[in-house]
Amino acid sequence: MTADTARAQGGRVWDPLVRLTHWTIAFAVVLNGLIVEGGAQLHIWIGYAMIAMLGLRLLWGLVGPEEARFTAFPPSLRAAWSHIADIRAGRHEEHRSHNPLGALMAYAMWATLIVMGVTGLAMESDPFPEGRTYGYVEPETGDEAQGAEEHEEDGEDEEGEDVLEEIHEFGGNLLLVLAALHLAGVAFESRRGGRNLVRGMIGPGRR
Amino acid sequence: MTAPAAGGARRGGRMRVNLLAALVILQALCAVFFVGDVVADLRLTGLVPHTLFEAAVAVALIVGTFFCGLEMRRAIEAMRRSEQAVAAASGAFGALIEERFAGWSLTPAEAEVALFALKGFDMAEIAALRGAAPGTVRAQLARVYGKAGVTNRSQFVSLFIEDLLDTPLVGLPSAPDPTAPRAAGR
Repeated sequence: MTADTARAQGGRVWDPLVRLTHWTIAFAVVLNGLIVEGGAQLHIWIGYAMIAMLGLRLLWGLVGPEEARFTAFPPSLRAAWSHIADIRAGRHEEHRSHNPLGALMAYAMWATLIVMGVTGLAMESDPFPEGRTYGYVEPETGDEAQGAEEHEEDGEDEEGEDVLEEIHEFGGNLLLVLAALHLAGVAFESRRGGRNLVRGMIGPGRR
Repeated sequence: MTAPAAGGARRGGRMRVNLLAALVILQALCAVFFVGDVVADLRLTGLVPHTLFEAAVAVALIVGTFFCGLEMRRAIEAMRRSEQAVAAASGAFGALIEERFAGWSLTPAEAEVALFALKGFDMAEIAALRGAAPGTVRAQLARVYGKAGVTNRSQFVSLFIEDLLDTPLVGLPSAPDPTAPRAAGR
């Protein structure tokens, strides 16, 4: 019903919270993945903002309007296969929320983002490095010369840190690959359906 | 003719939703900041009143974000419901007009002129819109009024208003029924 009236008005538009969280997370991924160096204070702050937006979007998946809720796009391999069959047969079907492949992509990205948030937080023992001084100085991470002595004392901790960094880095690259696939998927589905899906993520515009 | 008013209402609803969205996002950002701050303070100074108070702020922010989200959902759903109601009502009204026109057995040309008249265009405008001579339109309108059993445009429009007022309007106190005894109350 909502989809019908929305289509009559020229295409569905996601609600503002979906749009804002989508673009802030996209912006954060691009900034932290490609521009701001890892370990920099700005990188950490952007990471916090990303965590806030991700948390909000996931909360919205429980309490938001119908098409933003997880129940509207459950992760289902079977649905994804039948969607692929639809594509091969040239059938086009409107979905009230994400299409099954898009839903899988959303869950994959969220899972990766959660891993990025958790490993990022775990790497930084002080939530706000350099931002405060209670006569407490955080040992600089990645400073090999300074940390050389500590290496011997808590080698296990350092090892754990290395693994975290490894995961964080891999996750970052995975995220960029997923983002590229996501863009390709949006472009493909927009062409196939004859409806610009990007518009739904930008806004209702002037009418 | 009602388009500007309806559009205004929709824009108002949308603005309310956008404002709520901005508020929710600000709250979520602050909540993450305070949670991080509490964790840092716990580590640095332990459980002191200052940290406890900050923890309370963090919890309040998270709960506030949740309820603000719920409120926003409600606003979005109310906006959609009213849009649907308007669409349904205008669809029903269109059906009613068609039914009336068919009942008076208006010709297609007469029906079109009648519809323009209902929408508030005057004779010259209708003639321009249809690319017809004003005299033709005048004659067609006269035939429409004749078939509908009225003598002028305001009576013609009233026929449809009357149909609308027949059923109690949503959101308005029901119109007093002149035939009902007053003492019966509502």
